[in-house]
Amino acid sequence: MIDRFQDIQAWLEDQPHLLRLGRLFSETVLIEVEGEEIYLTFEKGRIVSVEAGPSRKTPWRFALRTDAEALEQFWQARPAPGFHDIFGLAKIGRGRIDGDILCLVKNLRFFKEVMALARHTEEGAA
Amino acid sequence: MSIEPITGRYLTIEIGGTLRRIYFEEAGQGRAVLCLHTAGADTRQWRHLMNDAEVTAGHRLIAFDMPWHGKSLPPEGFETQEYLLTTEAYIETVLAVVAGLGLERPILAGCSMGGRIALQLAALHPERFSGFIAIEASDFQPAWYDIDWFHRPDAHGGEMGAALVSANISPYAPNAERWNTLWMFMQSGPGVFRGDLSFYTRDDSLIGRLGQIDTGKTPVHLLVGAYDLTCTPEDAKRTAAAIPGATVSVMDELGHFPMSEHPQGFRPFFLDALARMPRVAVQAA
Repeated sequence: MIDRFQDIQAWLEDQPHLLRLGRLFSETVLIEVEGEEIYLTFEKGRIVSVEAGPSRKTPWRFALRTDAEALEQFWQARPAPGFHDIFGLAKIGRGRIDGDILCLVKNLRFFKEVMALARHTEEGAA
Repeated sequence: MSIEPITGRYLTIEIGGTLRRIYFEEAGQGRAVLCLHTAGADTRQWRHLMNDAEVTAGHRLIAFDMPWHGKSLPPEGFETQEYLLTTEAYIETVLAVVAGLGLERPILAGCSMGGRIALQLAALHPERFSGFIAIEASDFQPAWYDIDWFHRPDAHGGEMGAALVSANISPYAPNAERWNTLWMFMQSGPGVFRGDLSFYTRDDSLIGRLGQIDTGKTPVHLLVGAYDLTCTPEDAKRTAAAIPGATVSVMDELGHFPMSEHPQGFRPFFLDALARMPRVAVQAA
């Protein structure tokens, strides 16, 4: 799973509008997929590190916890209802968002579009 | 170059004891259909149907911006007021627009909070309308979020609101219309989306009134998109089941803003809904 986020890290570099939207976002986000921890560290809109856990020493601002199959569905070009959005995953019981939710909401468009970058491969647009 | 058939004008009416300047648009001829926008948005959500010649050939579509929304100004003194929409004020506004425009028992079509108030009017003031099309409408939706997020000095409520409601737009929606739909939320005045959500997520008074809706006199048809996370098909079906005689259609490829986000996908459902409404307004109220 970590390789998907390394791909996202690279693709983000080719998205000038996202780098602009995220220019004030410098936080660490925990992605937890069936217990596998992945720490995404953002610095002014760039992902400067993608680190595998587990880690009890890495502070994070907010976390998205889900399962691998749900994420793969999320990354489909046209996901089924509920799988089409990170809040949808939470709504259908396939995901959970913890931590500083207000921080997430303040940067919601940026974070959702970063998470959806893997959809580009489905459309051949990456 | 093209000029659309939609025309926009202003109507001044009294609401809550004060005069309000209401912006409205219309297109078409025939049966009047009064269209209500969602929370945090405005009349532009109806732009596609108003430009749809098949719809307007037999229907006069009218949409207005609620006070505080779009081109309708907030009331005098708004700068010291906290905007919190209530069921009572919403009902008064819709009825004042119906009277102000001289509409004779229009069909009422509302989306989201507009659908909620359409069902309230179906229960409380059915004699003023000929039928109800309740889109993405349910009995009650408590908030899973904090509505105060959308009105704070350190962040842009419109941008946050747009990012939140993007969860309710179908991946089948054309990208341009997805962003046109979100733009309205981005433009919403400070605190307006929050004030609408206060009504939508805190007032559960409709639940006890659904059973008193008489669909024999005024039909009620609900439309709900499968990609709507706010009002899910389950929410709409539960609501329809509580209204004797109400019907409901699930739109598999649509979300919470169907008329705005995916006009081609929505139009057959809207035409079907119109066909379910009485052709001629009933004589006796």
